[in-house]
Amino acid sequence: MSRYKITRDDLEFAREFLDDPVGYHSPGLQRVLNRMRGPAWEFKYVLVAQQRHAIWLLAKLPKARGSQVEIVEDVIYTDLLDAERDIFRRRWRDLTGEELDLSLEGTP
Amino acid sequence: MLPIVAYTDKLSVAAGESLSVMASSFGAREYRADLRRIIQGDTNPEGPGYKDEPIDLDLGGARKAEAKRFHPGSCVIVPGRGMLSSLSDFTIAAVVYPTLLDGRDRTIMALPGFARIGIDAEGRFLAEAHGEWLQARRRARTGAWHLVSLSYSAKSGLLTLAVSHEDEAASDDVAPEVATAKAAGGECRAEEILIAAVRGSDGRPTGFFDGKIDRPALFAAEVPHDSLRRLLVDFAQLSRMANLLAAWDFSLKMTTQTICDVSPFRLDGRIHNAPARAMTGWQWRGQELDWKKRPDLYTAIHFHSTDLYDAEWEVDFTFALPAGLKSGVYAVRLVPDGDEDAAYYCVFALRPPRGQRSANTVAFLFPTCSYLAYANHRLGMDVPGTEIGMGRVVELDRHHLFLQANPEIGFSVYEVHDDESGVFHSSRLRPIVDLQPKVKSFLGGFGSNVWQFNADTHILGWLDSIGQDYDVITDEDLHAEGMRLLGAYNVLITGTHPEYHTRNMIEALQGFTDRGGRLMYLGGNGFYWVVSFNEDMPGIMECRRSEAGIRPWEPGHGQFYHAFTGEYGGLWRKNGRPPNRLCGVGMTSQGFDISEPYHLTAAAGDARVSFIFDGVSADTRIGAFGLAGGGAAGLEVDRADRSQGTPEHALVLASSTRHTDIYLMTPEDLLDPTPDWSGTQADIIRADLTFFETAGGGAVFSTGSIAWAGSMAWNGYDNEIARITTNVLKRFNDPERFELPELKDS
Repeated sequence: MSRYKITRDDLEFAREFLDDPVGYHSPGLQRVLNRMRGPAWEFKYVLVAQQRHAIWLLAKLPKARGSQVEIVEDVIYTDLLDAERDIFRRRWRDLTGEELDLSLEGTP
Repeated sequence: MLPIVAYTDKLSVAAGESLSVMASSFGAREYRADLRRIIQGDTNPEGPGYKDEPIDLDLGGARKAEAKRFHPGSCVIVPGRGMLSSLSDFTIAAVVYPTLLDGRDRTIMALPGFARIGIDAEGRFLAEAHGEWLQARRRARTGAWHLVSLSYSAKSGLLTLAVSHEDEAASDDVAPEVATAKAAGGECRAEEILIAAVRGSDGRPTGFFDGKIDRPALFAAEVPHDSLRRLLVDFAQLSRMANLLAAWDFSLKMTTQTICDVSPFRLDGRIHNAPARAMTGWQWRGQELDWKKRPDLYTAIHFHSTDLYDAEWEVDFTFALPAGLKSGVYAVRLVPDGDEDAAYYCVFALRPPRGQRSANTVAFLFPTCSYLAYANHRLGMDVPGTEIGMGRVVELDRHHLFLQANPEIGFSVYEVHDDESGVFHSSRLRPIVDLQPKVKSFLGGFGSNVWQFNADTHILGWLDSIGQDYDVITDEDLHAEGMRLLGAYNVLITGTHPEYHTRNMIEALQGFTDRGGRLMYLGGNGFYWVVSFNEDMPGIMECRRSEAGIRPWEPGHGQFYHAFTGEYGGLWRKNGRPPNRLCGVGMTSQGFDISEPYHLTAAAGDARVSFIFDGVSADTRIGAFGLAGGGAAGLEVDRADRSQGTPEHALVLASSTRHTDIYLMTPEDLLDPTPDWSGTQADIIRADLTFFETAGGGAVFSTGSIAWAGSMAWNGYDNEIARITTNVLKRFNDPERFELPELKDS
């Protein structure tokens, strides 16, 4: 289980991710992503392809094999990078208890 | 999800031969079937477009879609052969090692309708016979051996359940726990013995045991538990015991489905659904690691309620492949209820006719071993950290939702069973829902995100785009026919990720290049894992991931040798057949986010390889585009390495020069895990485009990258990566010998 705790000190990495969600990341952002994408099941968001390469639904993956994938109502993406950004924001909220607000960068 | 799924009885068939289709409804009412030749399966709008070709063949009209189900769970079934009816006094006993206790009643051994021992939903050993039911007080432990026995004496009228917890340290003075009940006795009407299951009301085995069972035995007498502890250790002694009716030594005929009774009655049985044999038994203490040398220590079978060998669905229809139909990759397409978008594709290879030389000189090796290894894989669903390796969110296609809802379909060798032990076996005698065109995957990189078969259709599409005639042969064909099959061809082309090979296959491929054949390895992480087929069980494959390699599980201590063949499992690199020797490069790293271009080296200007770059612009960077992560070098990448067998004269023509930090070192190379072995830091993490000639006049061209084919398909196959590949194919298909260069003394 990850011991890294995401705080407002990571807002600079959040900014970096929102600028460029897929590809090269700084070590700091990679650490944040490892926490978000790692073995914890509480915020294991996935995309369900409703129409390949065009429309995706947001869902949560259950831990138990054979359990139903839980669709998050009323969330539809038509762009994978938008989906990455939205899921990042959701996980930020799950892990810090706060909405992601880049204007707070530098505040304690 | 998938309203209909199906499979064929073979993945390789020749024109004129028959193919049977087994389909099941998962919502469909009816379906129609047709035959298609698959040309390009990726539906990415950035790609060349989906393409197949209908074959004019009547496969019948509308058929009713019958619902059929999966019945996983392994056990042993022993016909009683009339030997059970006289049982009065009796003892049944086994040594067991549970690996999963999860609130289900499980059977260790049963004479259905007469007697049974097992573990109940509370995790306590139980026994039942003569209408009486006994329960042990102590709970069974997972990961520990227990001797369990149930005996009955008509004279005393006593039914006795005894359990000893066989902890190693106390094995000489274990006091068994005993539970007894008075019972009136009765006639034995059981006609069979089941080990690790019992018969359900529908006649199928049920109540499966997860764990190891060793030395099950049946006596026509009451045998004290302490005597059993002594007797069961020594099969030779046991077989002479007058009251012994049967005792099964699982170490005999280990490579088959047969289970041998060592008693004079020879009540032999058979395994059902391919449990794992050649597993360490009750007496194994690390004395030997190879079951072939001390089979007496490998007397256990590991059963799983999730094992599946043959779905055994009834045949829906059988048809003959028309004579004259050209070799290729085909699919029986099943369209449910008129909905073409929901069609299911049963993909198979139409191989060249048997026993005659093909007119084609180019063959595509359809990597059925690698397809089987990944068959129905659940990496993005079962392994939460997969998303880290992908560097992007997991995307579930409709077949993934089907897998999530139907885990009974059986696993790939990337999964663990419900007891968290590794899945050693994968079978083609069941639907393989990811062996279809159009499907997306987890690991295919940002872009098309296709993997294995559907990624390989980028190569089929390229062959189609250049008008190249070719045969398709499968791994199973290569395993069975070796050089007799390969000898017809000038050029053999691999898929994007030919990772799993039997020894026959590796040796045939080496023999092919040694004898002048030309190998185009258009993939990454090829020729990596050892796999085995079983002569007694067609269609199933074994893989034990021993010692090294990027692997989701280990086989367990002392269990590194395959049961099917006795081969040492694991990497070919550790078995004297490093991929570098065959194709110049070997697996070095993986990452499933983005891919990179290659940068040409000085060796690209060598006159030996001028044909490769004919018509390619002078830019030193190639492949900065593609459908698999946006570059030609990526996903899984290989490096040239003389210490691993890359020939001295091999030329590294181009290399990728950086990757993201998702790309890390393989365990076999990461002997000392310091934090500098990542894609932005370590030069060793790269794809090497490699070429060399062979002494027999042949040659090898290796891309060392899964993503290469995704770049070939870019811009409608009109790009420098496709051009380079075509240049290689044209020269390789020219029978003129390649000459070995003179090596300079270093």
